[in-house]
Amino acid sequence: MRPAENIERLIENLSDKTSARMDQRVRQDMLHALAESGKPSALIQPKIGRTIMKSRIVKLAAAAVVIAVIVLGLFEFIGTEKTSGVVWADVAQKVQASRGNVVRCRETSSFQSNEDDYSIKYFSPTHSRTDTYKGGQITQTYYKDLETKTSTFVNHTHKHYMSRTFTPSKGGFLEKHGDWINAEYLVQTILSCEHRILGQKAIDGVLCEGIETTDPACLGPLPGPVSRLDVEMRLWVDARTNYPVLFEVKIHAEAEGKTMSSECVMDQFQWDMELDPSIFEPNIPPDYKDMRNL
Amino acid sequence: MLEDKLLVLKCRRGNRDAMCRVYDKYKDYLLTLAKGLLSEQAEAEDVVHDVFVAFVRSAGTFALTGSLKGYLATCASNRARDRIRAKTRQAEALDSANPPVAGSRSPQQQAAEVEELTRLRQALRQIPYEQREAVLLHVRGGMKLREIAKLQGVSVSTVHGRYRYGLDKLRSLLNSEVEE
Repeated sequence: MRPAENIERLIENLSDKTSARMDQRVRQDMLHALAESGKPSALIQPKIGRTIMKSRIVKLAAAAVVIAVIVLGLFEFIGTEKTSGVVWADVAQKVQASRGNVVRCRETSSFQSNEDDYSIKYFSPTHSRTDTYKGGQITQTYYKDLETKTSTFVNHTHKHYMSRTFTPSKGGFLEKHGDWINAEYLVQTILSCEHRILGQKAIDGVLCEGIETTDPACLGPLPGPVSRLDVEMRLWVDARTNYPVLFEVKIHAEAEGKTMSSECVMDQFQWDMELDPSIFEPNIPPDYKDMRNL
Repeated sequence: MLEDKLLVLKCRRGNRDAMCRVYDKYKDYLLTLAKGLLSEQAEAEDVVHDVFVAFVRSAGTFALTGSLKGYLATCASNRARDRIRAKTRQAEALDSANPPVAGSRSPQQQAAEVEELTRLRQALRQIPYEQREAVLLHVRGGMKLREIAKLQGVSVSTVHGRYRYGLDKLRSLLNSEVEE
């Protein structure tokens, strides 16, 4: 006579695999359904924030994503030490005085698939633009106009776009992006953290000097308590020009018994460029649809 | 799970890769459940197909309160039940396909396990649908009895009873075949 446990074990062994034909059919129909429904991504963004805030670990994960992305505001990342060849106060001044900057950003995280290969970010004192690429093709462009407080998201894959106005951050966690591209906020935050000089090393043939902080305070206020939070942020600047060359950030966090990690590398900086203002004007092809009308 | 919550967020934003990731992650799980409930391969595939397509259609307004896995399992179960109800007295042929068996076994062991799982599928078909659902969702689907109770619209004790009766009936059916 079989005990009940044996039956349960037998049931656990039931295992069916989808066929390649089925996979193709379902994926095709899913994408067709997606195209038909034309998911209004930006329209639901306010709800996304609320959903995220329901879970502490998700808040933290979102924090890491936001931080990894917003650290692109790196051009304001500075230090004050004067114990090496690089005068870090000069770095701060040069960075803030830069007319325009371009940087490549690559991100990986443990909690999301690496959907895009990299992004190229353009900054002027009043505008920013981010082009995201996958497989050599541009997939998204995000424009931000700090003068009119307008952001425009263009999804080239789905041929959708959406513009919306944004309000300056007033301490809200998810809105920190606005603060991080604000030089004053970033300078104050970074300067308040403990950091150390890393010395010199050559990066792509350029003699650089580095600064590192492992002070979690550099992330700013967290959305909730964590049992563990490891942060590594390193900035390398050209010892000759005092402009940043490479920025690396690693975050590992544990909360509610779950862990997450995120890494971001920013390189290929171009500083003090006179960027054509037209690159910050949203370029929306005529066949793209406004998400609000979908 | 954290990954699922982020995937859902991305799906809500119309992220195609996230949707495909959800499919890849849960396709086999749902197919196993659906096939256990319906027995027929093509119907089980249709259920899984419909669950994922419906998920995409509703992704924009989707609010995940529990686990994504549980949500999808519930959807699959509901759709399987609808199909069962729709064809009240259908002559159902047993699926002749051999169920895959995990792990590295000798050919003899594999053959024995395939035979055993085939008999299990036959036995599953002979127990009442509610009992089959309770057993499969609990044991193979990993759902809690209270979650199944919510799905079936009955009390937890009723589900517990269905689960016990289902398991006993399966054991009886399998043992009777062995004794024969």
